[in-house]
Amino acid sequence: MDDEAGTDEAHARISPVPREARPFQGQRAGIVTRLIAAVLDSFVIGAVLLGGYLGLVGLVFLVDPRSFQFPDLGLVFSLAAAFGVAVVYLTVFWTLSGRTYGQLVMGLRVLGYGGRRLRFVKALLRAVFVVVLPIGIVWIPFSRNNKSLQDLFLATRVVYDWEPRTAHKDPPVEDEDVS
Amino acid sequence: MRIPGVDTLSRVPVPPIVQAAFAPVVRRSTTYAVAVGGMLDQLFDQAIAEVVGRVDIDALLDRIDLTEIVLTRVDLDVVVHQVLGGLDEAEIASLVAKVDVNAIAGSLDVDVVLDQMDLTSVVLTRVDLVKVVDAVLEQMDLTTIVLNRVDLVRVVDAVLDQMDLIALANEIIEGVDLPEIIRDSTGSMASETVKGVRMQGIGADQAVDRAVGRLLLRRARTQGPAGS
Repeated sequence: MDDEAGTDEAHARISPVPREARPFQGQRAGIVTRLIAAVLDSFVIGAVLLGGYLGLVGLVFLVDPRSFQFPDLGLVFSLAAAFGVAVVYLTVFWTLSGRTYGQLVMGLRVLGYGGRRLRFVKALLRAVFVVVLPIGIVWIPFSRNNKSLQDLFLATRVVYDWEPRTAHKDPPVEDEDVS
Repeated sequence: MRIPGVDTLSRVPVPPIVQAAFAPVVRRSTTYAVAVGGMLDQLFDQAIAEVVGRVDIDALLDRIDLTEIVLTRVDLDVVVHQVLGGLDEAEIASLVAKVDVNAIAGSLDVDVVLDQMDLTSVVLTRVDLVKVVDAVLEQMDLTTIVLNRVDLVRVVDAVLDQMDLIALANEIIEGVDLPEIIRDSTGSMASETVKGVRMQGIGADQAVDRAVGRLLLRRARTQGPAGS
């Protein structure tokens, strides 16, 4: 086939990654893929919120069925809930597996300094940063290393990684240059 | 027997009267001389026979180194040439026929002869080894010999010891791309769809990068894995 880098990697161990995708493994992901992943994650967060709201509705209905009406939670509470769910969701997944559901679908992984998985604090900081300033993703195409604003300030990066689990070897450390 | 001086005396010029006077004496003395000569001959013959009879030839030969004498005093080349020149082929053939070659061969010290020969070079230069080996192999059932005489288990063990089976297996699996086969055989539509979406995402990423790069007049980012 047409992959030189993928062949070298496959000699060390058998890769489940399709041949055509092997050259891209470990490269920093671009804006389109990450945007799709973010949209998928927002769907997940929305589903969680909806589920929570429906659960609350069910609870209210069980408590007092006769005077039941859909609870109005107010804009602030809704935003706070969405913020909390999003931060928890992103923090947990980035800490545990380095990828959210959207990033799993798109074959992405968030890595910290030295190519290691994010630690809890950094994952939390990044989650807050991403939720507060989602527009930071727009910086990606203007960065030489496909870094969003969050990546820039927290020294993280998002790479293509189609491996189902974390690769056994640590990815090489890259220079953290600013565009 | 001749008496020395008789002829000389007869040629001396003697007056006839003297001759007549001495004639009887001469005749008598001549007769005596002849008789004495014969006796002396007999005596010498007997003496020589006695001497020869008394000589011990063996002792004499023992004291003489005949070989040395022959070698130093005789021109052997001439002798041999003379002898060979005097022989004709028929005689030689008859002589050779009388020789017991087997007995000679039996008395040969073959080891000494072999020590003086460089058999290896002789064989290498004089023998068509390819033909010999071919002929030998033609008569041998190598398969049977190997099966009967070779400890195949040990051979295989030794071969396997020298091989990195894991690397070989990986190479084979890489060659047939086993993961791809497994994906093809078990992969669902969903995984194919995900793969397609991911690849399209990567393509779109690169397209955006190129577009922005052109917009910013930036040098194209080199392709390759991370860190390149």
